[in-house]
This record gives sequence, C-alpha cells and structure tokens, in this order.
Amino acid sequence: MADDKDVLRDVWFGRIPTCFLLNQDEVTEREAEPYYLLLPRVSYLTLVTDKVKKHFHKVIRTEDAEEMWFEYEGTPLKWHYPIGVLFDLHASNTVLPWSITVHFKNFPDRDLLHCPSHSVIEAHFMSSIKEADALKHKSQVVNDMQKKDHKQLWMGLQNDKFDQFWAMNRKLMEYPTEDGGFRFIPFRIYQTMSDRPFIQKQYRPVSPEGNVHTLGDLMKAMYPVALSNEGEPKRFQVVIHGIEPLLETPLQWLSEHLSHPDNFLHICVIPVPSD
Amino acid sequence: MRSWKNHVRGELQQRDQTEKLPFIGVFTSLSQMEERFEFRKTFLDDVQSKSLDRGGRESEHLAEKLSQTVSDLTTVLYLKEAELQYWQSRVSHYRQEALSLAKRSNTLKTTLSEFEYTIECQSKELAALRNEQKGINEALALACREKDELLQRWMEEKREEADRLNKYNDAQERWQRVAKHLKKHLHSERKKEFVPIVTNSWYGEK
Repeated sequence: MADDKDVLRDVWFGRIPTCFLLNQDEVTEREAEPYYLLLPRVSYLTLVTDKVKKHFHKVIRTEDAEEMWFEYEGTPLKWHYPIGVLFDLHASNTVLPWSITVHFKNFPDRDLLHCPSHSVIEAHFMSSIKEADALKHKSQVVNDMQKKDHKQLWMGLQNDKFDQFWAMNRKLMEYPTEDGGFRFIPFRIYQTMSDRPFIQKQYRPVSPEGNVHTLGDLMKAMYPVALSNEGEPKRFQVVIHGIEPLLETPLQWLSEHLSHPDNFLHICVIPVPSD
Repeated sequence: MRSWKNHVRGELQQRDQTEKLPFIGVFTSLSQMEERFEFRKTFLDDVQSKSLDRGGRESEHLAEKLSQTVSDLTTVLYLKEAELQYWQSRVSHYRQEALSLAKRSNTLKTTLSEFEYTIECQSKELAALRNEQKGINEALALACREKDELLQRWMEEKREEADRLNKYNDAQERWQRVAKHLKKHLHSERKKEFVPIVTNSWYGEK
C-alpha cells in the first residue's frame, strides 16, 4: 500500500480543465464571460462550482436565478456522479478545455437530483462510503468510526486535503491478510449506450479456487460485450480515472488504489473513437 | 515491478501530461488574477463609499485572514495528531508481533535441537544394529556351510549303509538257496535210508 502512494496521489490530484458557458437562453443584464476552472476528477460538480454560480449571478437577474444545473452537448450532467466519471463517459475524446453549459432555468427533474446545499452532497457521499463498506467489511469499519472520523473523510474531500482524507480512508482499505482481499469489490460499470444507469453486483476479489480475479474477469462476468475477441478490432475502451488499465490488473489492487473517495471503483465503458 | 502496475503509473502520468499540466499554469494565474481583481474592486468600492471606515475594514479583513490561518493550522495540527496516533498504534502492533515471532523462533530452535539430538542417537543405534546384523550374517553363512558338509557326510553314510544292506541281502539269498538245496538233498537222502532198513531186517531173518 505504502509503495503505491504515488498512484493514490495521481488519482487524487487528477484535474480536468473546464470552461463554463452560460446557456444562451438565459436572460442577462450584460454579456456573460465564460468561467475557467480546473475541476478535481474525484469531486462532485456542485461541490466545486460555488465560484461559477457567483460568477454568473453577477449577470443574471436574481428573480431569474433558479437552481443551477449543468449540461454537456444536450446531456444533463448528474452531480452525484464523480466529475471524472462524467468526463470519461460523455467527453473523453473532446477538445480541452471541456465546455460545460450552465443553466439556471428549466431544471430537468426527470434526469437530475436536486442539490440545494453541500449537506446533500455530504449525505450522498457518506451513504456511498457506507454502502461500499457494507460490501467490503459488512459495515464493520465504518460503524466502528466516530462521527468526527466521518467528518474527516468529508472535510478531506471538500477541502481537497489528500493527507486528511487518507489518514482515515486507509482504515476502509484494510482487510485480513488470510482473506486475500475484501468480501466483495464495490464497483459500478457505466455505459453510454444503455438507459440503465450502471451495473452493480456482488463480485469477490478471489475465486472459490483461490485464483485472483482481474479486471478482465470482472468485465467478462458483468459486461462481456466490452471485451473484443481475438482477431476482432477493439470496439470498446474500459476506462478508470481517464486511463485504460491492463485487463490482467488484479481487481483487489484496483479497488484499493483506483477507487474514488466514495470507495467505489467507477468503470466507464466507452466506444473506441473512430478517427 | 509488475507490468500492470507500471502500466497504470505510466498511463496516469500520460493522462496528466494531456489534461492537467498544459493548463495548470494558465488556470492558476487566471484564478489568482481574478482574486486580486475582486479584492481590488471590493477595496476600491469601500474607499469610494466609506473612506472613513477604511482603516476599520482593513483591520477587519486582516483579522478575518488571521482567523482563517489559525483555523487552517488547527486543522493541520488535528490531522498530524491523528496521523501520529495511527503510526504509534502501528508501531505498538508491530512490536507485539516481533515479540511473539521471537518467542516462536526460540521454541522452534529448541524443538530443532531436540530433533537433532534424537537423530544423532538413532544414527548411533542404527550403526550398532548394522554391525550386529553383519556378525549374524557371517554366522549364518558358516552355519550354512556346516549344514551342507553334514548333509554330504550323512548322504555318504546312507549310501554305504545301503551297499552293506544289499550285500547282506545277497548273502541271505544265497544261503537260503543253499539251505533249500541242502534240505532237498537231505530229504532225498532220508528216503533212500528208510528203504534199506526194511530190507535189512528181512535179510537178517533169513
């Protein structure tokens, strides 16, 4: 674990350069300038866009400003998915900076959850951590933590403090050596070409025969279409944090090192770009 | 180092080379300039609206900044304390583990020396038994030789005995034939002697 701290750092400090543009239909008192921001891949849109809101509030009338929401090329962006997942899923082959359109009207209730305050994000984040720990340790670790420990995890993410977050999160990544890994791997597989939000099932890091499960094994079991047969051209990319790990990478190691702060391994399956 | 791990490391660096590093400089400068602009704008507004309150506002701003710094430092301190506690608990855990391992090692060493001693004793016993077996084998070979000799002698004697018996039987047979012949001869002689006795008495009376 300690040897791979550089991987944890690279994952935590991943950034996406973004340009926020106000939707042209919004009524403004004067022309809105775009707003540029480096977004942390592991954070949530509504957690890091207070400055964006402040910037555009200057040019729109207070009575016209409803809840802010984001859209990319016609797709409303779900704030409760990590930013990196949204980018990999919808815009991984776009020209940088990533252009996101900002709306203050016509909130798409059918597609997005409301996010009136940061406490809603905190509730969602802590609920994901608890769900992940239920899969990994039957909730034993997260239940043994105190309220201040939970707060430390949240504050670490909110204030982008790597050390503060990992001082506590390392407890969630421990497991008995004799078990060879977690009880189940918390993962979610996202796909662009389906109405289903994501695939999430119980999957162990080690087979009953004692063989280590790899990313390839997981994809074969959960979403075999994503893998191309020998001799066939590759149709899909399996992307985590903007990279394509080798399919022989052990799932347990990926879960420990490439999980998001919510402790889930978010895997995006996207079509190979046709250049 | 395993290749899949190197691959992840390389890919993450490559990702940052494309997504992060070319933009970080300009985005940071822009953000700093915006902050400075905002601050100056606020400051200018303040100066224009309430020039008398300026000193008070500046000190308020300073106090706010100081309070933020204190809060940040407290958070860092809290974090370091938590980290220190964690590492202390790890050290104590490893110390306990080292102690228990040392104990196990001592026990294993004692057991090993006991086994070595047992092996030495058994080797000696084995050597003694091998010597004894060698002596017994030699005695067995001698006894076998003696048995063969005795058997030969016994066979010789038996042959001689059989020869003797055969000679005796031959002699017996011959004797019986002679006795038979003599008996026959005796009979015929006796018959001859009986007839003249009668005649002689006849002749005597005459």
